Formats: sequence, C-alpha cells, structure tokens
Amino acid sequence: MTSAPKTIGDFERVVLPFMNDAYTLARYLVRNEHDAQDIVQESFLRALRYYDRHPIANPRAWLLTIVRRTCYSWRAGQRATVETEAFDEMVHSAADPLADPAAQVIAASMRDRILAALDSLPAEFREVLILRELQELSYRDISQVIDAPIGTVMSRLSRARLRLQAALGGRDRAVG
Amino acid sequence: MTCASARTMLSGYLDNELLASEAMAVSSHLETCAACRQDYDALRPIGTAMRHHLPMLTAPDLLRSRVGAALRTAHAGRPAGRRRRAFWLRQIAAGLVIAVASSAVTRAVLRRAPSDSGIAVRDVVARHVRSLMTNHLTDIVSTDEHSVKPWFDGRVPFAPDVARLEDVGFPLAGGRVDTVGHEPTAALVYRRRKHVINVFTWPAHPGARASDEILSDTEHGYHVLRWTRGDMQFAAVSDLATIELREFVDAFRRSRSTARIEAEQPKR
Repeated sequence: MTSAPKTIGDFERVVLPFMNDAYTLARYLVRNEHDAQDIVQESFLRALRYYDRHPIANPRAWLLTIVRRTCYSWRAGQRATVETEAFDEMVHSAADPLADPAAQVIAASMRDRILAALDSLPAEFREVLILRELQELSYRDISQVIDAPIGTVMSRLSRARLRLQAALGGRDRAVG
Repeated sequence: MTCASARTMLSGYLDNELLASEAMAVSSHLETCAACRQDYDALRPIGTAMRHHLPMLTAPDLLRSRVGAALRTAHAGRPAGRRRRAFWLRQIAAGLVIAVASSAVTRAVLRRAPSDSGIAVRDVVARHVRSLMTNHLTDIVSTDEHSVKPWFDGRVPFAPDVARLEDVGFPLAGGRVDTVGHEPTAALVYRRRKHVINVFTWPAHPGARASDEILSDTEHGYHVLRWTRGDMQFAAVSDLATIELREFVDAFRRSRSTARIEAEQPKR
C-alpha cells in the first residue's frame, strides 16, 4: 500500500453507485441470477482490494473492467454451463412502456429473439454490444473495459451489429 | 476508401466516434456503394431495438445489502487477518512440538510406508479428486495472479507462489485453502484444455532434506509431481499426461522465487 488508505466510506461513495451497471453487465454476460449476484459481490471485493492502490480516473469503466474479468474467470471455473437458464427476472424488472397487451406480447417475443440472437454471438461481440447499446459507454471506455484498442472496439462493434442483425433474420449477409 | 475499411468504420460513423476526416470519407463512400449503404442501414436500428427491449437492470435490494456487508467485513478483516495468522502459527507450533515428540515413532512408521511419502501422495490425490467432485475447485476465481496471491493473505500462514503461466498454455483458474495431512495448504488451480491441475503448497517438515529433485508418482491414474524449495513443499496433481504435467512443473518452478514464510518476513 503506497498511498494513505482511503476510507471504506470513500469507496462506497465513488464505486458503489455503479452497482446497477455491474449487475446489468454480469446478468447479461452470464445469464444466471445466482452467478451474476456472486460475481457482483466478488467484483466489489476485488475492487475494494485494488481501490487504494490505484488512482481511478473513471470508476464506472474501472468497475466494469473488473466485473467483466470476474465473469469470464467465473465461467472458466464453473464446470457446468449456466447460460441456458431462463431469464425470468427480466420480465419483471423491465419497465414496460406498453399498455396494449397485444403489443406487450410482440415486445416480449422481440426481447426473447434479441436475447437468443445475442446468445448466438461469440462473447467478444456480445460484450461490446452490451457495453455500447445498453450501458452507452464511449469507445474509449469500452476500450478500457475490454482491454483492446479503440480501432478494435469500432470494427468489432460493426461486425457485432451486423451479426446480430443477421441472427435476428433481418439480413442474411453475415459479416465476420 | 475500400468497402472493407468502410465497413469497420460503420459503427464509429453511426456513434459519432470518428474524426471529421474519417467521417467524411465514410459518408462519401456510402453515397457511392450500395452494399455498404445496405449494411449501414441494417445496423442502425440495432441499438434502438436493444435499448428498447433489453433494459438496464436494477440490482436487487438483497444483493445491495449483501455486498455492503461483504465490503465491511473485508475492510474490517484486514487487521483480523493478522490475528488469524497468529492463530495458525500457534497451531503449527503446537503441531511441531507433537511432531518432534513423536518423531521416533514417525520414523519407524515412515520406513515401513509403501513409498517414501506415499501418505502425502495419497492425500494430495484425494484432495484433488475431492476438489473436482464437490464442485468446490476454487474459493477465489481469478485468472489474475495479482488477485489470487493477496487472497491467501491471512488465510494460510505463508505467501504461496502464484505463477503466471497463461503464456505457456496453463491459464490460472483460481485458488482455495485446502489441507494436506491437517496442514493448511494453498491450492492453486490451473487448466490445460479440459484438464485441471491442482498445485498444493505447504510448509516442508523441519529438517526435511531439501532437494531439487522432482519426485513422480501415480495414484489411481492421477499423476503427482512433488518437489521442495526452501522451506516449502509443492505437489502438482492432474490427470494430464506426465510429460505435460512435467512441462507445467518446469514452467512453474522457473517462474517465481521461493515462497516465504510470512513469520520470517513480516509484511509492510
């Protein structure tokens, strides 16, 4: 420990507010409620350990970097694949702006289709889509989180979007 | 601008992440190239659709309180770690007294043991198998040696070597606290393809002959390679072919210096 240790109150003020981001990324990456929660907890514990060792310019991107790594190491350590579990909670946690029941059915099936299409993509495509489209990170932040140059983020995002579109059946031309 | 380079920039163009000069190049390419234009039109609605149908999630309250409690425990656990360590040291010291007192008996028993330390071999294989069966391979899951090593701080009374071997094809999966013959032992988990390698590290018996030699054993189809370094002993266990396990052990031994007993090297 080189600098004076910051208080846990400091950590709670700076890093803890991004729990929803951490949870969203974990939940969409591992697709299992139980694992996602364990990953979020483990990520915060790791973050706390590193917190007073590094100056943190962007706590959100920094936390998501840890969450992402924890997701992948979690999966590597898990012998059974957990990705097939249903996404029930999503139905209830989604703020549904649609009042019309028929429209809701269409929306629900569209959500399932997008989830299925996302799942059919390799992890490196899935993660950039989640980070960009849901979490609305800048390319610079995505580049930090996935530890790749900005040019890679851009080309990967282009391919990911086209692949997702193709998987949704909109177009046949998959670019890979 | 070629189609290939335009296509990699389509997202940057869409997201306003290009330099002005790049954006202009893409824009004029899109005016003349129908195929790229079609791609661009195809990827535009994706973001809207994802944001609309896949919401940002709110962490459940239970998770919030769980994480809050875990953080406070971990924070408070720093000094507590030292207390635990002292406890372990006392336990080991007590163990040593017993070991010395019964050394005559031990020597007699060991001489009759099937192999020179068949007990340790059987024990590490049993711990290896158990780690696979109970789905309790790792207490800390991490591919990062810099988070695994400090995790052992306060959990075992020494600082185990945690080698980074991903580059030579043995990614780290994590670590856990285990026991070998009642001694607290650091178990590191590495992988090669679908195979798991457990590396056990624990203090060598005092007075044990230090040797650079790697001892090789096989028990129930598992290969065990053992060695000592300084005052620590190591055992690598896996169902990998011996030659691959040997490759792992060589890389592991090359990578780091001897583990230190923390009692001799007070931290901070």
